[in-house]
Amino acid sequence: MVPQIQFPTLTADLIMKYKILKAIDISGLNFLSPVVRLIAQEDPRKQLHEIGRFIIVPIVAFAAFLFLWSALAPKHRTKAGEVPTPGVVWDASKGVWLFHKRETAKADAYLMNSAERRKTLQQATTRLARLDALEAEANRQISDIKAASKEKFDAYVAPSKTAYDAKRAEFRTAKINRENSLKEKAALLATQGTDARIAYLARIRENAVTTEQEKEQLKLLKTTYTEAQTKTFPEVKKAQQAITKLAEERQFLSKYSEMLGAGSRESKTTESESLLAESKNKFLTATDGDFYRLGNTVVKSEDLLATTETSHYAKPWTLPKQIVRSLLCVFTGFLVASAIAIPIGILCGLSPTFMAAMTPFIALFKPVSPLVWLPIIMIIVGGFMPEPENHWLVKALDHVPILKNYKVDPMFLSSALTVALCSLWATLVNTALGVASIEKDHLNVAKVLRLGFTARLFKIVIPTALPLIFAGLRISLAVGWMVLVAAEILSTSQGIGKFVNDMYTNGSSESFAQMFVVVFIVGIIGMFLDRIMIIFQRLVSFDTAGSAI
Amino acid sequence: MRITSILFTAAIISGLAHAEKLAVEKDELKLGFIKLTDCAPIVIAKEKGFFDDEGLSVEVIAQSNWKVLLDNVITGNIDGAHMLSGQPIAATIGIGTKAEVVTPFTMDMNGNGVTVSNSVWEQMQENDPDLDSDKPTHPISSASLKPIVDDMLAEGKKLQLGMVFPVSTHNYQLRYWLAASEIHPGFYSESDVAGRTDAEVELSVTPPPQMPATLEAGTISGYCVGEPWNQQAIAKGIGVPVTTSYDIWKNNPEKVFGVTRKFADENPLTLLALTKALIRAGKWLDETDSSGKLTNREEACRILSQPNYVGADYDIIKNSMTGTFMFQKTDVRDMPDFNVFFKYDCTYPWYSDGVWFLTQMRRWGQISEAKPASWYAEIAKKVYLPGVYMKAAKMLVEEGELTAAELPKTEDGYKPATKDFIDGNEYDGKKPIEYLNSFKIGIKDEGALSGK
Repeated sequence: MVPQIQFPTLTADLIMKYKILKAIDISGLNFLSPVVRLIAQEDPRKQLHEIGRFIIVPIVAFAAFLFLWSALAPKHRTKAGEVPTPGVVWDASKGVWLFHKRETAKADAYLMNSAERRKTLQQATTRLARLDALEAEANRQISDIKAASKEKFDAYVAPSKTAYDAKRAEFRTAKINRENSLKEKAALLATQGTDARIAYLARIRENAVTTEQEKEQLKLLKTTYTEAQTKTFPEVKKAQQAITKLAEERQFLSKYSEMLGAGSRESKTTESESLLAESKNKFLTATDGDFYRLGNTVVKSEDLLATTETSHYAKPWTLPKQIVRSLLCVFTGFLVASAIAIPIGILCGLSPTFMAAMTPFIALFKPVSPLVWLPIIMIIVGGFMPEPENHWLVKALDHVPILKNYKVDPMFLSSALTVALCSLWATLVNTALGVASIEKDHLNVAKVLRLGFTARLFKIVIPTALPLIFAGLRISLAVGWMVLVAAEILSTSQGIGKFVNDMYTNGSSESFAQMFVVVFIVGIIGMFLDRIMIIFQRLVSFDTAGSAI
Repeated sequence: MRITSILFTAAIISGLAHAEKLAVEKDELKLGFIKLTDCAPIVIAKEKGFFDDEGLSVEVIAQSNWKVLLDNVITGNIDGAHMLSGQPIAATIGIGTKAEVVTPFTMDMNGNGVTVSNSVWEQMQENDPDLDSDKPTHPISSASLKPIVDDMLAEGKKLQLGMVFPVSTHNYQLRYWLAASEIHPGFYSESDVAGRTDAEVELSVTPPPQMPATLEAGTISGYCVGEPWNQQAIAKGIGVPVTTSYDIWKNNPEKVFGVTRKFADENPLTLLALTKALIRAGKWLDETDSSGKLTNREEACRILSQPNYVGADYDIIKNSMTGTFMFQKTDVRDMPDFNVFFKYDCTYPWYSDGVWFLTQMRRWGQISEAKPASWYAEIAKKVYLPGVYMKAAKMLVEEGELTAAELPKTEDGYKPATKDFIDGNEYDGKKPIEYLNSFKIGIKDEGALSGK
């Protein structure tokens, strides 16, 4: 008799649970599985323990990091201000977002139809009127605060100034006195012998040393004095920031109202239409006159109307759009890299001779920095595109739906190619390794079955090597993402790198914190890219290796 | 309803005033600029809608340095740009990149400063105790710098100074300032493109926005640059501005708006429209009320402080743009002409300005061979386009944007001779050879060339 094995009955709930766990496993989000198991009431003690380890501990660690950061950052003073704390960085990210929102609002305003425009214009005008009062109030406040802090400031600076001035005067007289006495002694030297003269040299030396010491002392005092002068009281700073905020809003609203009013596309079209109607009327009704000129004016007005009707607000690049362009750029580079690396990698894996031929190139070019590649590639790409705007590739890409909004230009292509050149090595090497490690039995079976080269490639070689190929692609994408930001900084191709470079060169009080914002954005996007690659890698492989983080 | 209908009527009325709108060949343009306050005319023309009025949709793009900017203009990545006065001239005669670049519009006058590091400033104060006060007398010459240079030379070192580009106004102003107190800044030659032959100090190129950081790092001990990078240095305590280009040469031409000759030939009406918008922007920037106060500058500072334009703090931009300049924390002076965007016929592309830059290029050896006086005039005529300017300005007079009195009055495009230099040397644009030979330091040419 066969013993009966008791299988748990598969209820719908259980199936659901396993499906979720499988999905979590594939996406590499294993820290979520104890939560699912806990909800399914599977060994609660163990699950709570796991939740503690994989969810609570990381959160606590991150909180500790934030705490340390807030505590330590203000301690380090630089010429660009204090190192920003998490709060300041958060505010800066809101500033970046506000700039984006305002520019988008302007672009939208330009295209609005009249009903919407009227309503929005009404709101903007009301807000502008309100701003007058707010600004007057803020200005009154700051003058009060400034008056109050003026005394405080003078009191703060005075002691260091007096100390410096007094010491400076004292040392100056002392120096002159010493020099005079030395000069008097020098007058006597003419009649004195060697010993006296040698002794005199020592005195000169002594004088030089004293002067140097006094200079050092003065320098210290001067530093205290200058530092005192740079003192800004927090309340003044705060009031100034409030005024800046209001003034910036006014700046925006006045431009915004203009875009909603006379500057909108609709108003401009109406204007062009009336111009056209007028010139046409003139042309048709004139009895004599220069018909050639009049006719030309009509044609020109028609052209003007046509361009006005399709015109857009020339919106500056804002961070969200720059991020998308960076992503497009990194994927372009990644695709190029994959297209080169995978075939060559497969060939390397299949033929040890080919591998031997490729080894010097891999060894030589793999360690080259993107910062070396970029200028070279820029010059080469520039050579292919003497007139970028009329180049066939740029023109062709202008018709591609998404790409056309992100202006593919030689700088974009150079950055993408640099990404490709730096990131293809990981894929190449991994592919070669994957192909080379195919079990001989599999290939023997292929021989027995008399499979052709293509069938062997697609039925055996690639499927077996796929997990390693994807492991390589994952590294490539991560490398590419890191390289891209550097390439964009150097090539000033629009993207995250350009944003960082612009902020660095702006050197305003905000920019230091805005660069920190980019650190997090780059990090988060990099993390997502990695996750996506993990999912692909998991989907094609049967084992669980290489997906830990 | 009422507001929009008013706006519509206003639009139509203004439309009628502009009845002869230019049929521009290219209506979507990209203009480049460097993050300096004197890019203002381009930024203002965009933000105040002067480009829109001409039917131009303009994207304004920051460039990382002057070399990249010029290359982008030449390769056509951008259509035109805020340029150093020397750039179109140098490109045309083939110093550096060779390409024909022309200019119909001078963007501003003055606006540069010379900043030295705190330690150099201290030593200058030791050499000249009069400087060690809260408000020293100006102009400060480089005489108190001379002993420092000599001391370093005795130790086998050379004082390192920064400027922004080999053919920049800053390079020539800094050299002028140094040479006026007999500090030799070095000659260029065919084999020495860094310009250090016979030099007592070494000048090197650094992009403007990176000047304060480079000074702080100690790579250079001083620099000559436009705003806000001098004010930035004093505000952050990195260095001390000692003099301004206004003191070196009163009302010196500074930036120009440059395009390639190809662009100018293919798009004459677009260039005219651009020039019109820029003249209006210049006028707007120099608008004053009855008491002579510059009325629009604060708004301009607000606009320039946006991160996509100059991006520095409003307070720092304001220091120099609103008619004052901060030399030390205790020393904020009135300098109403620190930035001139329209007054004194500033925007007109004067041939004599072009000739001055050519004489300086020859003086320091960037032009390696002697040229006759006629050559100087010829090159200036090739690069500067006063014809386009006058046409644009006259159209603006017809449209009521300018008054006839605001048109520059000149017959030949040369400014009268002037002695407004720190060393009092006289400059007459029609006598370049005599001018070259009047300098103590600098290459001299045979007097016979002046007649040719």
